[in-house]
Formats: sequence, structure tokens, C-alpha cells
Amino acid sequence: MGHYTEMLKQVISYTSIYGLASLGIVIGGRTGIFNISGEGIMLASASAGFIAAYQTGNWFIGFLVGALMGGLFGLLLIYIHESLKISQFILGITLVILGTGLSDLLYKTIIGFQLFAPEAPKVPQIRIPIISEIPIISGILNQDVIVYFTYIVVFLAYYIFYHTRIGLETRAIGEDPLAADVVGINVKLRRYIATISGGALMGLAGAYLPLVVTGTYTTNISNGRGFMAIGIAIFASWRPERALLGAFIFAAIEVFSFQQQLGSSLFPYQFLLMLPFISVLVIMWLFRKRIEFPASLGKTYSRE
Amino acid sequence: MVGQEVSLKQTTKLQKIWVGSKPYILALLIAFGITGAIIGLLGYNVLKAYQTLLFTSFTSQRGIIETLKKFIPLTLTTYAFAIPFKIRFFNIGGWGQMLFGGTITAIVGIALAGFNLPAIIFIPILILVAMAAGGVFALIAGFLKAYYNINPIISTIMLNFIAIYFVNFIATTEPWKAPRTGHPMSLKLPEAARLPELFGQIHFGIVIVALVIIAVYYLINKTVLGYEIIATGINPDAASVYGIKMRRTLMLTFLIGGALGGLAGGIEVMGVHQRLIEGFALTSGAQYGIFGILTALICQGNPLGVPLSSIFISILLVGADAMQRTLQVPVELVFLSQAIIVLFIVVLRRRAGGSFIQ
Repeated sequence: MGHYTEMLKQVISYTSIYGLASLGIVIGGRTGIFNISGEGIMLASASAGFIAAYQTGNWFIGFLVGALMGGLFGLLLIYIHESLKISQFILGITLVILGTGLSDLLYKTIIGFQLFAPEAPKVPQIRIPIISEIPIISGILNQDVIVYFTYIVVFLAYYIFYHTRIGLETRAIGEDPLAADVVGINVKLRRYIATISGGALMGLAGAYLPLVVTGTYTTNISNGRGFMAIGIAIFASWRPERALLGAFIFAAIEVFSFQQQLGSSLFPYQFLLMLPFISVLVIMWLFRKRIEFPASLGKTYSRE
Repeated sequence: MVGQEVSLKQTTKLQKIWVGSKPYILALLIAFGITGAIIGLLGYNVLKAYQTLLFTSFTSQRGIIETLKKFIPLTLTTYAFAIPFKIRFFNIGGWGQMLFGGTITAIVGIALAGFNLPAIIFIPILILVAMAAGGVFALIAGFLKAYYNINPIISTIMLNFIAIYFVNFIATTEPWKAPRTGHPMSLKLPEAARLPELFGQIHFGIVIVALVIIAVYYLINKTVLGYEIIATGINPDAASVYGIKMRRTLMLTFLIGGALGGLAGGIEVMGVHQRLIEGFALTSGAQYGIFGILTALICQGNPLGVPLSSIFISILLVGADAMQRTLQVPVELVFLSQAIIVLFIVVLRRRAGGSFIQ
């Protein structure tokens, strides 16, 4: 029993990585900006966040720097896209490579080679009074602050998008930016806000990896999770609450394949490692008829 | 006054070339400026670093050979991106196609080892196998887009990761695994399956790439399919009105691009490593797979510009390796500077009124 509780706890923790990263993509996507650079952002933020936390000894600063780095990437994307109308996909791919290079460069130049892997300051777990006393639930619930934060932002995003005027207007931009522009919505400003905050969420997901999951920074730490988040956003039809569900599914697949690797298993472990990536393809194929896109997603909008 | 206006519009050929190349030159200068500033800030000797970065390829015979050795696979992975890009689809899977092509080449090469085939038959078989493997691997993405509208960016990236683990599975598992090696790797390919060395220096892959460059030029400019690809890239709707089948063109560009990506892997396995090494996915695979995309973006996916931009990036890659060896400047800096170069080329061409795909 304890084993399964521990596994579920891990799944919930991993849900944050996928949840935050895919929510970041969903928020930008709702204004028509398809930010595919999540992998680069996560890598750069993982590195910057870890370095900041390690140097200051403060995990909170690590998350802050990670989010800032992500926001900066978002700003770069939206600034070049909006001012020069250059394809979001080309910019996205370039940013992936920029982030990949930046992550190791930062680590190598600031931390350098260490005999023992430097350890990040421990992120405390939040214990909710009373509930924390219940045996099984306590094992699942005692999570770090980012896990709770994930649920709060997903709820906030859901509430704002579907129950407020601002959200309705923002979704309208994603469907038809020209129409939104005509009725007086500030398309440019909304896109800036959505892309930068989306980038910050991806950055947070990146910083979560060294600070919570591994405890230290390693090369290529996000290992494709930033790309899988794109799959989750698509599977979720760009709805925040479904993105969380998708994140949970992928977290479960990842934890499952990791657990199987440890035990003696029927499959070679490489095939288990493939499993999350194969799942993205299978899930996108299975749900292909139910997937919806914001109509202007990825398209360049200019007033002329 | 009227006469003056006319004379202003008359531009010489030289001016045209200048207008066309200005964004590139400026982008390079800016990117090198930024990279130089970073190198300086990190406390390295900027002048020496640049000397190493730019001129290592030319200062020795070894430098030239090393540059060509990178040029061979890089040109192929660049085509893997550039050809589907011609009809505005993104094949991010050059990496995976290269790995899959290389792995299947190794498997078939090891399997046929007992037949004692002569090189003249063995090598062409393996080249075709590599191309078929890469092509089919890319075709999965093309098919998923054509029939199920699954974004090729996503599918090719997922296929990359599948290929990475596939390489490691083959390299570490019997019967392919070589016994008693420190680092996991497959058995060596038989002698007849290895690409011969020309002048004892550079393997035969250089000839294959030269043929590919000519073939791609011919394909794009002189064939019906090439015409269809160009027409579809300019206006997919109009192209389909005139009877060009979108699905077919889409799948064919992925097939061709993937075949060239697979060929890159096959050549690496047959010409350089002569076996499949466990880290193949992350060393040369990642290098050529990822830089292929950047290289293609530098020449804006123009298939004719591919060899040029590929030789340029090869020079930088060789220089970067040397820079890390001799000056301890982290090699990741080159990742960074190349991304910056691409960003500025895209931006400056746009500024100059160039038509980059939007």
C-alpha cells in the first residue's frame, strides 16, 4: 500500500511539471500565439533557477529566477513576432536551440565542474492541519508549494477564460484577432501579457526539475518534457482544466515507466522510456476528432 | 526629374547582390559581436577565440578534412528540414531520421555479415537501406499529417525520442551488442560494408553528398514533382485547384527529406564509426540533427543554398571544438551564437523587405 501511495504522490508532483508547462502553452495559444519553445525555456530556466537557488541557498529565489527567465523568452518571442511578423514556429525552434545552449553554458561558466553534484536547497512540503493526520491521504497530499500553486493557476486560468469578460475577449483574439481588434480589444497588449506569463509558467516548470525532482542540475534535464507539453496542450483542446488532466495522464505514464525500469520487467527499459513519447502520438491520434484549435493559432496577424 | 527617377531605379547586378547579402553580413556581424562580448565577459581572449573559431578549418589539412567530415552529414540533415519546409511544413525529425537510418544500417550490415558480399554490392545495399529507413520514419509524420491532421512538429519530435531509445536498445542488446567493450556499442560492420577512404583521408560519403546536391537541384528545378513542390509552397490552395494533390506532395517531401536524413545516419555508421555506438544519439546525432534545422533556416530552406550554409556551419562547428580544446571556451557558446545568427538573419531580411515565410 505504501508503495502505491508513494507512486501516486510522485505522479501528483510530476503533474506540476506537465501542468505548468502545458498551461503556459494554452494561455499563449488562446491569444493565437503558439509557443513551441517550451523545451528551450524549461532547460534555460532549470539551469538559471538552479544556479540562483544554489548560490543564494533559497529555493524561492530559484523559482523566481526560473519564472523570470521563462518570461524573458516569452517576451523575446512575442516582441520579434509582433514587431516584424515573423513566423512563430521559426522563432520557437530558434528559441529551443537558444535555451538548450544557454542552459549548459550558464551552468558551466557559473558553477563549473564539481566533484560532487551540487545540491539545491530543499523545497519544504506543506502540511495541511488535520488532513495531514489521515494515513493514506497525508502521503499523497504533503506536497511542495508549487504543486498547490499549479492547481491554483489552473483554476484561475479556467475561471478567467470562461467566467470573465476579460477571458472571453482574450479567447476572441485567439479565434479572430481582426474582429477582436475592430471591437476595440487591445490585441497586441493581450498577446504580450499572455505570452510572457505563459513563458513564466513554463520557466517555473523548468525550475521545478532541478529544485524538486532531481535535486541537482544535469545536462538536458527536461528530456523532451517541454515538447510533450505541446502534445498535452493540443490534447486538451487549449482548455486549462483538460491540460491538467492531460498532465496527470503523462505524469502517470512517466512514473509508471520509471518504476518498471527499476523492477525486473518484461520489456527492455528503452521501450519503457519510449512510452511517454509514443503515448503522445497515440493520444493525439485517438482524440483527433475531438481536438479543437483556436482558429488563429500560429497565424501571423497584422492590421494591414 | 523624370529621367533622374528612372536612373535611380536602375540597379546593377552588384547592387542586387549587395542588397541580397546585406542582411546576412549584418546578422553575422551582430551575432559575432554578441558572442564576442560573452566570450570577453567570461574572461577569455576574444581575439584568440575568434581566430580559432573561424580559421581552424583552413590552417591545416586536418582542419579541412574535419570540416568536410561534418559537412557530409550536416548537408543531409539540412535537406531533411529544407525539403518539407519548401511546402511550409516543419520536419523537426531530421535527428530521429538520421538515428533510425543509422541504426537500421547497422542492423542490416551486421545481419548480412555472413554472406561475404563484395563492397560494390554491400555498400549500395546499405545506402538504400539507410535511405529507406529514414524515409519511412519521416513518412510516419507525413502520413499522420496528411490523413489525421496531426501537427508534424509534434510527431517528428516524438519520433526523435523514440529513435534515441531505439539506438540505445540496439547498441546495448544481444545479438547486436559487441562483447567486452567499455562503452556499449554494436559489433563492427564487416570490412566490405565500410565506406572506402579517398586519398586515405576522407571517406566516400563526400561523393555521395555531391551526388545528392546535384540530385536535389535537379529534382527541384527540372522535374514535375519539383514544380509541384514549389507551387504548393507558394500557394497551397491555388496548387490544389490546379490538380496538385496536397497529400501526395506532403508525403513525398517528408519521404525525400527523411531519406536524406537517414542517409546521413547510414554514412556516419558506415564511414565514421563503422558500428553503432550507444551515445550516437546524443553526440553526432544531436549535433547534426539540431544544427540541420538552424542551417536550413539560415538559407531559409532554399535547397540550393543548403551546401553553402552547411559549409559555413561546419567551419563554425570545427572551430568551436578547437576553441573548447585549446581555450576551454564552452562549446555551447556556438549553439547560442548560431541561434542568434538565425534570429538576426530572419529579422534583418524581414526589415529589408525580404519575404520570409510567415
